[in-house]
Amino acid sequence: MATVSNWIDHLSAEEVAGAIYPGAGSVEGMLVIIGIILWVGWHVLTARSESEELSRLAKKRHSANDHKSNITDW
Amino acid sequence: MTDQLGALTTIFTEFYYWVTVVLMFLIHVGFCMYEVGASRYKHHQHTLMKNTMLIPLVTVTWFFFGWWIYWAFPTGPGIAPSIMNESTALITDESAFSATWYTATSELMAVNLGDHISGVFWAAFLLFSWTAASIVSGAIIERITTFAFGILAIAIGSVFWTIDAAWGWHFDGWMLKILGYHDAYASGVIHAIAGGFALGVLMVLGPRIGKFSSSGEPRNIGPRNPWLVTVGLFLIYTGFWGFYAACNIPIFDLGPEYGMEGVTYWTATNIYVTPTTLSGITFNFLMSLSGGLLAGYWIAKGDPFWTYSSGLAGVICASAGNDLYHPIQAMIIGMIGVVIAYKLHYWVERKFKIDDAVGAVAVHGYAGFVGLVICGFVLNGYPSSGYSVGAMWDGTTYATINPLGQFLGAIIMFVVLGLIPGYIIAKVLNGMGKLRIPREVEIAGLDYEMMESAKEDEKAVSSATR
Repeated sequence: MATVSNWIDHLSAEEVAGAIYPGAGSVEGMLVIIGIILWVGWHVLTARSESEELSRLAKKRHSANDHKSNITDW
Repeated sequence: MTDQLGALTTIFTEFYYWVTVVLMFLIHVGFCMYEVGASRYKHHQHTLMKNTMLIPLVTVTWFFFGWWIYWAFPTGPGIAPSIMNESTALITDESAFSATWYTATSELMAVNLGDHISGVFWAAFLLFSWTAASIVSGAIIERITTFAFGILAIAIGSVFWTIDAAWGWHFDGWMLKILGYHDAYASGVIHAIAGGFALGVLMVLGPRIGKFSSSGEPRNIGPRNPWLVTVGLFLIYTGFWGFYAACNIPIFDLGPEYGMEGVTYWTATNIYVTPTTLSGITFNFLMSLSGGLLAGYWIAKGDPFWTYSSGLAGVICASAGNDLYHPIQAMIIGMIGVVIAYKLHYWVERKFKIDDAVGAVAVHGYAGFVGLVICGFVLNGYPSSGYSVGAMWDGTTYATINPLGQFLGAIIMFVVLGLIPGYIIAKVLNGMGKLRIPREVEIAGLDYEMMESAKEDEKAVSSATR
């Protein structure tokens, strides 16, 4: 994966390659695909848990002032 | 970078943008504090989380496609030819400022010894994206789901504002060429669009429970923590300094850029690569802030919430032309914007039952819109670009700044790219049942469960003896 193994060789080349991250020139497409999967997955997971939380809370039918009873007093 | 002067210019520019990004982070800190201060106790933590999570949501999408849109869309596509390749297609060729260099797989979108600017410039624009999404966030607190807000934040932060930036905030943008559009510090491209988008969402989302009486009279749900609101707005002002600096190119030789034979002219420029100075815009920033505060204090009869917001509205209103205005012009324009925005806010609230919890539509949307229109009159006849001055509707050259072009530009920002997309996306989310939290949850408070469990925890801790 290492794109640079010797800085002297790298910087003294006739044309210095700018991209120096691991796997430069070969891993970018794969990284984007992984990123998209993570991205979509996060949305699915969080949307599901938010819906569950909201419907659970909605069933309890609290009054507008109930929250005042759970403000701690110390 | 092989010669010292070139290296100094490059590293200075890199560091300059980096500093602006750090400063602009304060805008987001300010928005978070401001929103929490404006929300009621039972919704505090969800309000904070909603605005915090837009950071990763917009950042990742900005990396994947938002930045690409900015470089690809200046031509429309299909509206006016690019000065780089003379084509009206999306700019995805091999030219110097093509979008092809800014795909997520590009080597320039990473550590690259041959490019010291892309990352910091990308980040500066990203912080503008956060701001656009954050403006919407404040208006819709206490009743929107976090999921819906995430979708809306991505839409405004990584799609619609970046399209408007490509059209009207890019040296090659079609709005400059055809309309003579000028918006140096984003009255329209950030503020009017975000205000319009927020209004579109609010039209579908509806007011908070209790905001309007049964006879339709609006009730005031004022800020619950005025100190958080105060500090938040001061932080937004502070971040706005960074924003102004980030809208400039700090050092640039305009001689060769404009094709002037043998001429060297180093200067700071605005985003359109026309000359201005950091010094001059500092005059105007402070004078328009002062104009806004003065007018706000007067019209809101000393109400702190509106006075602080009016300072911001003053800057926003003058921002379109703050690269060229005289400081006193900037101050007067800031005052005019505040009076119109304040009056419109309450008129729209009463007439259309729109519950804009923090006045975001007024401060950003109306003030931004008015600022664009005023700019058309005050800067009438100035060139919108340094490249080739031409006539309106020509399309191959750049029209001069003019009132009609600015008015049409304001409509494009506020309505076409702001209100309409916001309304449509909110309608779709509403149709899916994903837009608004259940009524029972809104009444009890989004944080009810968190507070309930905190109570149990704290009971246990307070009764402990060891």
